[in-house]
Amino acid sequence: MTTVMTRTTARVVVPIILVVAISLFLQGHSHPGGGFIGGVLTVAAFALIYIAYNLDYLEDGVLGREVEKEESIGEHRTVAAYRRLFMFGLVVLVASTFSGMLLGDPVLSQYHRSIHLPLFGEIELASALVFDVGIFCIVVGGLLTVFSVVGAE
Amino acid sequence: MEPQIWILLGAVGLPFVAAVLTPLLYRVVGERVGYFGVAVAATSFGLILTQVGKEGTVSTSWIPSLDIAVRFHVDGLALLFALLASGIGILIFTYATTYMHGKPDLGRFYMALLAFMGSILGVAFAADLILLFLFWELTSVCSFVLIGYHTDEAESQYSARMAMLITVGGGLCLLLGAILLSIGAATAVDGAFNLSTILENRSTVTETLQSNGLFTPTLLLFAIATAAKSAQVPLYFWLPRAMVAPTPVSAFLHSATMVKVGVYALGRVRPLFHGPEWTLFVASMGIVTMFVGAVLAVLARDIKELLAYSTASHLGLMVAAFGFESHYGAEAGVFHLLNHALFKAALFLVAGIVAHQAGTRHIDELGGLWRELPITAGVTALATLSMAGIPPFAGFYSKEIMFEAAWETAQAGGGLAWFYPITAVVASIFTVLYSLRFLWLFLGDRPDGVGTVSRAPAMLSMPALVLAGGVVVVSVAPDLAIDFIIDDGANAAAVEEVHVHAKLPTHVSGPVAMSAIALFSGIAIFPFYSRLQAGLNRADTLTDRIHPTTLYDKFLSDTVRISRNVRSAVHNGLIRTYVWWVLLTACVLTGLGYATAGLGLPAPAFGETPLTIVLVLGVAVVAAVAISTTETHVTGVLTLGILGFMIAIFYILASGADLALTQLVVETLLLIIFLLVLEEMPAFYSDTDWSRISRDAVLSLVVGTTTTMSVLYTARDESDGLTQTARYYKDHAVEGGGGSNIVNVILTDFRAFDTLGESIVIVIAALSVLVLLTMRDRGETQ
Repeated sequence: MTTVMTRTTARVVVPIILVVAISLFLQGHSHPGGGFIGGVLTVAAFALIYIAYNLDYLEDGVLGREVEKEESIGEHRTVAAYRRLFMFGLVVLVASTFSGMLLGDPVLSQYHRSIHLPLFGEIELASALVFDVGIFCIVVGGLLTVFSVVGAE
Repeated sequence: MEPQIWILLGAVGLPFVAAVLTPLLYRVVGERVGYFGVAVAATSFGLILTQVGKEGTVSTSWIPSLDIAVRFHVDGLALLFALLASGIGILIFTYATTYMHGKPDLGRFYMALLAFMGSILGVAFAADLILLFLFWELTSVCSFVLIGYHTDEAESQYSARMAMLITVGGGLCLLLGAILLSIGAATAVDGAFNLSTILENRSTVTETLQSNGLFTPTLLLFAIATAAKSAQVPLYFWLPRAMVAPTPVSAFLHSATMVKVGVYALGRVRPLFHGPEWTLFVASMGIVTMFVGAVLAVLARDIKELLAYSTASHLGLMVAAFGFESHYGAEAGVFHLLNHALFKAALFLVAGIVAHQAGTRHIDELGGLWRELPITAGVTALATLSMAGIPPFAGFYSKEIMFEAAWETAQAGGGLAWFYPITAVVASIFTVLYSLRFLWLFLGDRPDGVGTVSRAPAMLSMPALVLAGGVVVVSVAPDLAIDFIIDDGANAAAVEEVHVHAKLPTHVSGPVAMSAIALFSGIAIFPFYSRLQAGLNRADTLTDRIHPTTLYDKFLSDTVRISRNVRSAVHNGLIRTYVWWVLLTACVLTGLGYATAGLGLPAPAFGETPLTIVLVLGVAVVAAVAISTTETHVTGVLTLGILGFMIAIFYILASGADLALTQLVVETLLLIIFLLVLEEMPAFYSDTDWSRISRDAVLSLVVGTTTTMSVLYTARDESDGLTQTARYYKDHAVEGGGGSNIVNVILTDFRAFDTLGESIVIVIAALSVLVLLTMRDRGETQ
């Protein structure tokens, strides 16, 4: 799979996918999109990188770090990062679930407020976005963990 | 006077808070954490003491939607039980600081002990059936942890599991009984789980239960629950096994408090179920246990085992007392609750001292210990004489009242009802026998081979001494205890107004004769103790096959065998089989749901389907058929892609933008994943196996039918505009959720709880894959 053609395509396509993913994620509350879709699309982008290059490419090719050889894929630094990501997502999700209780509202209460920003104009700011961040992180972290572990087999 | 809720909450909650802190504290101060336990128990004891004399129910809301509240009821019975639990708690913690010196895992030990004390106080005060169940099961869980204190010993594990299965199983009966009771109560009184209103309106509740035919089932469920908890025949066998726990645990949980939870609950609901059926089930169960326990105690060769069977026997006495209709029953049950806690906890502490100092618990290896352990010998004398029911010791008074209850029942019932007093007398003869035998550990000849026995440390003998002091007080001035709490307690368990009288007999009557027969026969037979024991032993071996323990083991091994067979059929390691079972179960359950809802067959409504949609779906169908006939994985995957993308296009045409996006993205991801694993897969499918194909075809048909029906059912309101749910979401999305994408607002706001669950599923899936794939090489291969 690591042919020149796939690599060139990946180089061009991956940034576009990532931008689209982020915009889908952000506009989710008012237009098609959201945490899950954005997350899965991000995963697709990373998956493309893996297929075109390999698991270590993000570390040595993009971040320019030395890759240490780990005993098992579970201890691989990238996989550990994904694991942390979905753990973080879970924490965000649970925190946003119970934060409403601090204000005396039931579990999972969400709040929203319109604010005006220069350049962007009217923006709807909803606490549901935090919840969505949690979902996004869980989807990205979880699927990429599965993906890289299965891919390493 | 009304009790104060915050004091009760404090008394019950403090041990739990302390339990959470204990492991942390253990790291800082080491085993001195035991003194912290003493302080907590003393604080709870003090808090409860302030409530003495008060009566009433207080509550604070917990789950209002289910009508469940943190509701505490204070009366004599609750206070007696709570004071016993916390008071003996103080002594047990004191004792444990020395007894458990140098033992491992003390953080866990004290944590479980504290949590147990909180649960038992919760049971004492709970006036809500669900709350009662919760605390009831918590005591079982704590007991499990404490019995299994020696986690690496097989016997410890076995006993802990046995106690857990029996007592928690009994707890489930309690839950079922509580639910049945609440059904009966729901129509009669408001607050279906409110035990105090149920008891206040008991006549209407029992009438409703009787008219529904639920009275006897509810009574039986409560009886089974208490039988499991309070070690009644035939569920008594876990109690002697539980003696593998450290002695402070045996003294606290398995003699003084936890096993009395069942008896206590019987006392609570006694006014409700009071009647002939109640006597038939409860009194018979109690009296049989009283007899069986006493006989097995005579058989015992280990001092803790002797005490365990004796505990079962005395619990039987209390259960039987509560079972009798006579007002003496309530008095005897409550009075003996106190007496038994005092003398039996003391005896367990003595057993601990003997084992600690002499290094053995075997009855035949012990004797003449009074020289080295004079204080302990004094305590033992007081406690055993009280246990044997010898006048003027405390145990005599409560046992005498129980005899009166049995006598009265026999006189009223006649005929077979004489079974009660006769069995009670025979059981009491055995009680006298084993009590004397225990006393003979200190008085009798010294057998050979007893090593040097050193004097007991003060911290060990002091708690036993305090309990013996309690026995002396109740023996010398029973009216003191009666006025303080017993009268109030007996009134809580009685139907009519009662007043407990405890005095030495002045003239001969039936019950007095019963006591005299028991006492003198016991003393007369005692010289032939070992011969009696040998005879009983032979009888015991003969009935080995029908022993409850044997049945329990058989039941357990059968369960394991059956589940192993089921597992090999359902979870045989092939993903195909797993999928088959999961899908089939889901479809059958869905189908059953539709059948019970009685929806009838859905009518397919085609309406005006645009040509484009028909075209797209037509391609999808063709692709679906093509998949099942492909030869290789590559074509299969690609055809599956066609199917997926056609469905995405269908979503777009049906203006489901979010669905279409998700479908497209997931489809792409699936393709990529297939690309990853493609190299690992065989290029061609294996040979055709017709039986498998037909099985899979049946499953496909079932799944397809269920899905189609689900779609038709859910979509059938579309013709006349939006459904009610859809309209609600549409109207509230912007103002309530602050977003104009309804799908996303539903996901993150309206139905965020579902999303939360799904996200956790993703995490679990990721963790499972990680663990399965990375750890499969690490040992544990079968």
